[in-house]
Amino acid sequence: MFHLLNRPRADADALADAIVALKERVRLCSRCFAITEDDPCTTCSDVRRNAAMICVVAEAKDVFAIERTSAYDGRYHVLGGLISPMDGIGPSQLRVRELVDRVSAESPTEIIVATNPNAEGEATALYLSRLLAPSGVNVTRLAYGLPIGGDLDYADENTLARAIEGRRTL
Amino acid sequence: MRLEHVRLADFRNYESLDFPPASGLNVFVGPNAQGKSNLLEALAMLATGKSFRAHRESELIRSGTERAEIGGEARIAAGEIRLRCTIVRTPAGTRKSFEVNGGSVGFARFLGRARVVTFVPADLQLVSGGPALRRSFLNGALAQLSPVYYRDLALYQKVVGQKSALLRGAIAPDRDLLLAYNDELVRPATALIAARRAFVDELAAATAAIYGRWRGTRERLGVTYAPNPDGDVGEALAAAVESELRRRSTLVGPHRDDLRLLVDGTSLAAFGSQGQQRTAVLALKVAEYDVMRARTGDAPILLLDDVLSELDAERAGGFLGAVEGFEQAFLTTTELPRDLGAAATWSIHAATVTRC
Ligand SMILES: Nc1ncnc2c1ncn2[C@@H]1O[C@H](COP(=O)(O)OP(=O)(O)O)[C@@H](O)[C@H]1O
Ligand SMILES: [Mg+2]
Ligand SMILES: [Zn+2]
Repeated sequence: MFHLLNRPRADADALADAIVALKERVRLCSRCFAITEDDPCTTCSDVRRNAAMICVVAEAKDVFAIERTSAYDGRYHVLGGLISPMDGIGPSQLRVRELVDRVSAESPTEIIVATNPNAEGEATALYLSRLLAPSGVNVTRLAYGLPIGGDLDYADENTLARAIEGRRTL
Repeated sequence: MRLEHVRLADFRNYESLDFPPASGLNVFVGPNAQGKSNLLEALAMLATGKSFRAHRESELIRSGTERAEIGGEARIAAGEIRLRCTIVRTPAGTRKSFEVNGGSVGFARFLGRARVVTFVPADLQLVSGGPALRRSFLNGALAQLSPVYYRDLALYQKVVGQKSALLRGAIAPDRDLLLAYNDELVRPATALIAARRAFVDELAAATAAIYGRWRGTRERLGVTYAPNPDGDVGEALAAAVESELRRRSTLVGPHRDDLRLLVDGTSLAAFGSQGQQRTAVLALKVAEYDVMRARTGDAPILLLDDVLSELDAERAGGFLGAVEGFEQAFLTTTELPRDLGAAATWSIHAATVTRC
C-alpha cells in the first residue's frame, strides 16, 4: 500500500484497470464453483483428472491450497462456507443441493470432505456423510495429524490427543 | 507452587505495579474500592487466562489506556516459569495474547501452567444455587488440570450452541443436521462425563472427611455426580431426538448435569440449614484444593476474595486451618482478622501496595 502511494499516478491507474479486468474475466465454475476464467474450469474439463473423486471444500481458496500439494488429481466442489445455524447459515445457504445433484449425475466413488478440523467443519462433514449415505458413495474425511518435521514433544496436547485417536495400523 | 514476582501495567486501576509476594499467607487489607480484588483477579488470570468476575474483558484495561499487561514469575514443581497475559483494545473488541517463558502460545497451552483455587463470595451459593454454578466449579478445576479437558469442553459448548440454534429455528429445520450434531457431540460429551465422574469420586472422599471433622457430628455428607445422560451418550441422544424437536431445545448432555449434595440422604440444597450449606461449600473448596494438589504433586495457589467477612470467625479459622499445608495464599479483607499467625500483610490504597 505504501509502495503504491509512492508510485506515479499512471502505475496506480494500471493496477486499477487490471483489477477491473480481472473481475470481468473471473467467475465461478458452474459445476464445482471454483474461481475460474473458463466455464467449466480446467479441473472440471481436464479429462486426465480422476472423475471418480470429488473433494469438498468450504472456500474457493482451499482449492488452491490442495492443488499446490499435487497430491490430488480428482475434482472439487466448493460449498461456499460451513454450516453454522448461530450465524444463520444452513445447508440451503451453501451449495449442498448442487453436491447431491452432482453425486447422482456423475456417480463418483469417493467424496473427500476437506473442511477445517473445527466444530463447524466437522459438523458439515458429518452432515454431508449422512446426506450422501443413501447414494452409496464412500465419504471420507481428511486425517488429523502431527505437523510434518515437527517434534512430538513440541506438539500441543490437543493435536497429539487427536493424532492418537486417529492412529492407524502399520 | 508459588508466585515470586508479579508486574502489572494498565490493569484495572493499576497504572504500574511491581509486587513481590511472600510465600505462605499474603493478606491484602484496605478500605473498599482500592484495588484489592483487582490484584487478586490479576493473579488468577496468570493461571486461568480468564477473569473470575469481569463481564467484558475491556473492563480489565485501565480507563484511557489501550493495553493491559499481567506478568509473573512462578516457581512450580518443574522449576521456574515466566507467564504473561496481554489484553489489547481493538476496534472489534479486545484481543488477548499469552506468553510462556517469553514465547507466545495459544490459550490452551497457557492455561494450567500455574494453578489456582479461587474462593469468592458468589461461591457461597455453590450448594444452594443452580446447577450451572456447580458445573462451572467442576470445569474450573478440570480445565486447569487438563488441556484436553479444556479442548473437549470448548468444542462441546460450541457444538451445543449450534445445535440449540438449529432447534430454536435460526435456520430451516433439518433432521439430518440435528443427527449430525448428535454424532459430533458423542465423543466430547463422553470424555467430559468420564473426566467429571473421576474428579467427583476423588472430591467426594475429601469433602466428606472435611465436612465430618468440622461439623463434629455423625452427619454424613454425600457428594455424587449426576451425569446427563447416565449411560451411553449416543443412545441417549438418539432416544431424545423427538422430544428435543418438540421442545425446540437440547435436553441431553453434560451441559445439563449436576453435582448432588446429600446429608444423611436428604438434599442439602432443599433441606440443609444455612450453616450446613456453608460448611459444605468450604469443604468442597478445600477438597478441590486437595485433589488438585494430589493430582499434580504441586500445591495450587489459593485466592480468597472477601470470604472471611462472610463467615463467622469459627468457620473462617477452620477453613484456614484446613488449608494449612498451602504453599501460598492470598486473601483480601477490609479489616485484619485477629488470629492470622504468620502472614505477610500488604495494605492497598489507591492502587499502591505497601508491606505493613
Ligand atoms: N478498567 C479500570 N480502569 C480504572 N479503574 C478501574 C478499572 N476497573 C476498576 N477500576 C477501579 O477499581 C476500583 C475497585 O477495585 P477493587 O479491587 O474491586 O476494590 P477492593 O479494594 O474493594 O477489592 C474501583 O475504584 C474502580 O473504579
Ligand atoms: Mg473487593
Ligand atoms: Zn469446475
